[in-house]
Amino acid sequence: MSIRPIHRILRALACLMLGGLLPVMASAEPPLRVIVIGSSPPMSYEDGDGKLVGFNIELAEALCQTMKARCEMHKVAIGKVIDMLAAGEADFAAVSFLITPERQEKVLFSKPYYRSLSIWLARPEIRPGATGITVAAVRGSAQARYVEIEGWKNFFVEHHRDLPPLLAAGTADAAIVPMPTALRLIQEKELQAREIGPSILPVPSLGGDVAFSINPQRADLRPRIDAAIDAVKNDGRFDRINTKYLPFRLQ
Amino acid sequence: MHLRKGTDAPRSLNAATLFGVLAGIFTLLLITAIALLVADQRKLLDSVTQLRTQALPTSIEQQRLARNIETLRLEGERVLSASTPQARQQAMFVVNLMASHPSILGNPRARDIATETELFLTRVTRGEQGDSAVHAEWAQLSRRLSLAADDISVEAVSLARGEVATMGAVIEGAQQKLYATLAITLVFVIVLLLLMHRRLILPLQRIDATLKTLGKTAPVLDLPPGSLHEIKAIEGAIGQLHDILQKHEETRDELERLAATDMLTGLNNRREFMHIAAGEVARSQRYGRPVTVGLADLDHFKRINDQHGHAAGDLALRAFADLVRSTLRHADTAGRYGGEEFAFVFPETTPEEAAVLSNRLRSRLDAMVIALPDGATLRMTLSIGIADASVRSLEEALSVADQALYEAKASGRNTVVLRPMAGLSILPPDFDH
Repeated sequence: MSIRPIHRILRALACLMLGGLLPVMASAEPPLRVIVIGSSPPMSYEDGDGKLVGFNIELAEALCQTMKARCEMHKVAIGKVIDMLAAGEADFAAVSFLITPERQEKVLFSKPYYRSLSIWLARPEIRPGATGITVAAVRGSAQARYVEIEGWKNFFVEHHRDLPPLLAAGTADAAIVPMPTALRLIQEKELQAREIGPSILPVPSLGGDVAFSINPQRADLRPRIDAAIDAVKNDGRFDRINTKYLPFRLQ
Repeated sequence: MHLRKGTDAPRSLNAATLFGVLAGIFTLLLITAIALLVADQRKLLDSVTQLRTQALPTSIEQQRLARNIETLRLEGERVLSASTPQARQQAMFVVNLMASHPSILGNPRARDIATETELFLTRVTRGEQGDSAVHAEWAQLSRRLSLAADDISVEAVSLARGEVATMGAVIEGAQQKLYATLAITLVFVIVLLLLMHRRLILPLQRIDATLKTLGKTAPVLDLPPGSLHEIKAIEGAIGQLHDILQKHEETRDELERLAATDMLTGLNNRREFMHIAAGEVARSQRYGRPVTVGLADLDHFKRINDQHGHAAGDLALRAFADLVRSTLRHADTAGRYGGEEFAFVFPETTPEEAAVLSNRLRSRLDAMVIALPDGATLRMTLSIGIADASVRSLEEALSVADQALYEAKASGRNTVVLRPMAGLSILPPDFDH
């Protein structure tokens, strides 16, 4: 007879504990799905061991750490990033995207974390807008969009790493790439051999603010990412990553 | 009555008003101080926010800019010292990037020197300038780049310094306000304590002292000037209380006197006489001192009443009482014992001495002529019995004195009979002196 009330009390206690635990479990966020390029040094690439490294990779890790969020990185070609975010298949993209009106219609952008320029890679005598030339760019990039708008003959590739062979082989006469990518590509021997060098494209639409892009359904992420960017820019982590991958400060 | 009435003092204040006004002033001062401190705190918070969200990030960006100017200088060195055209091209590319980057273009000083550097290096790479001139100009340009980097770096720090200085000033101001608030509080507490001491505690102590002696003496309540209205009210109440007590005491005294006095003669009545005499006898017996009692009766007093009326009788009794008062000594006590019967107690007096005294009374009455209102005169004589009370009780002594009186009457009146322990002594009419 005396056991029954004890059972009842134990059951009540168990219910209380479960009731207390459930909200905690519910509050544990699922990991953030982060899109990275993984094929665009020095911002995002794989090292000799196949490990993802680069400025954007480490910055994304620092942001996740600051947001106290678990992040899962998924490698995606540049051309698919915006559509995947728009479809809600990822939470944000650790990709240096120029903030363009077309992209803003589909996705959200974090606050800019540096300002970029676009670089014309070609032999010295091949100038932008020269007739009959084929201009290469990475599909889905702002540079590819510019080439299309200009109506130049083009050759689009999936990855930046595809560009040097293309230029070396003469399949394309020139390529337009973002500033950080250019810093790496100009070190390619096959390009140096053909005297293919960089020059800045003075086109406003190809320069300016660069930011991470965010799933439009995850508007809640934007203030968190912005705050995390402020934090890493102010506590020195941003500059340490900067020094690791680039010869000058990104601003 | 030494009490000063509360209404006499123009400086009398109401406690509620006084403390209310004080509390109001203090509260106002405190609220003002707190409001000022809150304003300071808000200013400080604004400065901190400004520092955190504006000055520090901008300062860090400026540091990056300074670093990029330095990078520009280093890349310029590499352009000049490059061993291969590729190396030179790469360094020149970074120079171009720096000179074209929006961050550098956004700062006039950085923009100017970066553009100048880019133009100079471009001329050098194109071989438009001679070697000696190149090195001299680069040395100068390089130093200016370093200086620009230094200056921008220092500017970055001074951006934050301004906010920090503002914060310092605000904190200093707040500290002074805090001290002022503490001082105000301290002054208020001291004033409150002083007022409480002066206007409450001190008057209360005096009231306490006055109340302790209220029944004995008239209250002298010397309240300090500016005492509170409420205290003054107590002062008034004490005065009234004392008046009432005084009246009660007077009434009681009067009642006591009435209870102890024979209305007609003003002498002690029998009860009071017995009370006093018992005390005297007891005291004398305790100390082994002589004490004597006497009983006296006016001879043939009934005749006076019969012949002249009761008013004359009363007059005679009063005249006799006056004679008793003027003849007996201060320490002696007389009382009306019955209608025309009187009793005496003589402390510190032997029966013989008492007999002499009694005889003096007898002879004086014998010599006295009492004038009546109707012009007639009358005379009276007195018989007195004396008994020693030092060895027997008052009642026994009086009983012995009564026997002596009886004997005085029996022996022809107008005489004093002393009844010693044994035997009887009849004093002749000329015993006096």
